[in-house]
Amino acid sequence: MPMTLTQTVVMALIQIVVLLAVIMAVVPIITFAERKVIGYVQVRLGATRIAGGHVGITGPINRAMWALGRVPVFSILRGLPIFMADGLKLLTKEDVIPEKADKLVFILAPAICMVPAFAVFAAITFFPGAEGLFTFPASFPIVGGLKFMGFLTDINVGLLYILGVASVGVYGIVLGGWASNSKYPLLGGLRSAAQIVSYEVPLSMSLLVPVLLVGSLSFRELSVKLATEMPLVAAVPLFLGFFFYLTCGFAETNRVPFDLAEAETELVSGFHTEYTGMKMGFFFLAEYANMIVVSAIAAAFFLGGHYLLPFGLQSQLIHALGAGHALNQPSILFFVGKVGFLLFVFLWIRATLPRYRYDQLMHVGWKFLIPVTLVNLFIAAAIKFVWM
Amino acid sequence: MFKNEEMEINLGPQHPSTHGVLRVKLRLDGETVTHCEPIIGYLHRGVEKICEDKTFFQGQVWTDRMDYVAAISNNLGWAESIEKLFGIEVPRRARYIRTMLTELNRISSHLLWLGTHALDIGAMTVFLYAFREREQILDLFEAFCGARLTTTAFRIGGLREDLPPGFLKQAQAFQDRFLACVDEYETLLTENRIWKKRTVGVAPISAEDCIAYGVTGPVLRAAGVAFDIRKAFPYAAYDEMEFDVPTATAADTYARYQVRVEEMRQSHRIVQQCIDKLPEGPVMAKLPKVLKSEVGEVYHAIEAPKGELGYYLVGEKGSGNPYRFHVRAPSFVNLQALPKMTEGKLLADVIAAIGTLDVVLGEVDR
Repeated sequence: MPMTLTQTVVMALIQIVVLLAVIMAVVPIITFAERKVIGYVQVRLGATRIAGGHVGITGPINRAMWALGRVPVFSILRGLPIFMADGLKLLTKEDVIPEKADKLVFILAPAICMVPAFAVFAAITFFPGAEGLFTFPASFPIVGGLKFMGFLTDINVGLLYILGVASVGVYGIVLGGWASNSKYPLLGGLRSAAQIVSYEVPLSMSLLVPVLLVGSLSFRELSVKLATEMPLVAAVPLFLGFFFYLTCGFAETNRVPFDLAEAETELVSGFHTEYTGMKMGFFFLAEYANMIVVSAIAAAFFLGGHYLLPFGLQSQLIHALGAGHALNQPSILFFVGKVGFLLFVFLWIRATLPRYRYDQLMHVGWKFLIPVTLVNLFIAAAIKFVWM
Repeated sequence: MFKNEEMEINLGPQHPSTHGVLRVKLRLDGETVTHCEPIIGYLHRGVEKICEDKTFFQGQVWTDRMDYVAAISNNLGWAESIEKLFGIEVPRRARYIRTMLTELNRISSHLLWLGTHALDIGAMTVFLYAFREREQILDLFEAFCGARLTTTAFRIGGLREDLPPGFLKQAQAFQDRFLACVDEYETLLTENRIWKKRTVGVAPISAEDCIAYGVTGPVLRAAGVAFDIRKAFPYAAYDEMEFDVPTATAADTYARYQVRVEEMRQSHRIVQQCIDKLPEGPVMAKLPKVLKSEVGEVYHAIEAPKGELGYYLVGEKGSGNPYRFHVRAPSFVNLQALPKMTEGKLLADVIAAIGTLDVVLGEVDR
């Protein structure tokens, strides 16, 4: 059914609003998960002060649970509302702009960092099926009877768009560090610039493996074909590529063990030392949004996306059981589960590993990752040539 | 066109990684350190001068506040140097208890070092694991003398009181689980690639330089010199204890890490011997009500967790106070080596070097 212009615009707006709302809801939940996961790794409870106590809104429930001699059922969620408290705190903090800062750039930098991080989501396919996630009932005005698709757009250069837009974010960090007119942020910003420039190369190279195998740059096509149309040998470059990509992804998002730009024991807070309030909150939002993007790309291209098995092995299952089998149906739950697991890996690594030194980071990038991703690319090319 | 400018930055006195109020003035060429100057004195209280106005009995309270993570070691040095000045013989049971508590204190000091050092390098979990065990040791101190940090644990001539009931059982409970805990820290760090990259070959200082600077303790032992005052000039009950002095030859941050971890195991061994062989008897020698000194001087050194902790006391005829009191503080002496260890290296190595020297500013500034 062809859509009218009004329908297209309204539909797009609805999708944008839903997407932004989901991200805005998920990011704070990740920060809460971070407190909890790291807390449990470190034999402590993490945030517990809000909810789960004997007073407050949830007080009566919890008191009843304790009275029954049991720990409240949702004790793992104790402290959950802290993500709202975090946001509220950032919003109400005094917004300090240093006297000698370059004011315009200082104000722009967080936005430059955050906008690309969110814009990237436009090209990500959350569910590839043509049937969409659900259909609006016919009684709805304008959009009645239309499908709500699992992606915002499916442009034919989706991956290129993602890589291009995502790398704009580093300007925010560099400019933020520079505009603060302070020594620690400057060092942090420079570190970050060098780091991201270095890791962009192996990151793109490891993403070239799926592109080569499928022969397309469309996110949707890539994620479907990588799961369903791969020969068995393709699992080798995909398996290796997954780890290379994830390593570069950690570097791109400035997470441990590559968090040199904000190494608090060396540079206080790195590039955002001088930032306060919601401006700093923007940097945080961008960091966590980038984590979701990296996880989503890794899940879609390497871990089989919306299908059950990772590394293209689903193709073998389809071969064996037939495309109609229940195990071969795509589901958004698989995708969400894989993204969730990768986000957990981010937090897990943060709790476990120390931090690289600046020069070692460069060594890992230039002397290890670039050669091995190149070799991996050759393997993929050979497979493409011989088996496909 | 290409102007090469050096940047001067201050690490501290309020900085997350400088362990207290150490201020390090660095000149950086990019990220390379071209000049490093530790600036101290922010925590100076004049402990040595104050102690000259206090009686021999009162002075110990001030020693708590020097190396506040190893207060019991400081107490032991103070008590023993005065006993040496007056020629007081301490009962054997008291010496055993002193040894046990001092070794527990060494473990707790090394745990604090391990936690903060790992945290500086970015491994945040070790910190909380180490503090979990340190907490148990502090509970033991609390059971013994009521204080967890500033213990004032000993008295001249022995102990104020014997061990409280149940103390040995509590100590044994700690002993039983501690070795497994050390293994746990090691699983997180010892073979960790990133940890090794950040520590192997970082902040080296040779044995000759150590001796020239007067650097002692684990830093010296990691350079291959097996100098430990507990073995070389035994005090307290160390002559009756069996233990090894761990050494390493690499003289880098990783070697110091290995030496300190092994020292924790050896301290554990000593504590176990103290518990097993604890003799019966009094814990206090017979002392006059007031100690009036003769003219005389004494230097008594003990092996504190950070290195050689020496007390130099001069007695004045008929006086109840020391005429002159001086502390050879291991942190202070070891800190001198910081520029030597870091110049020409990277900024991140300065952080590792401060951590590996294990300085406590209360002791550096006194």
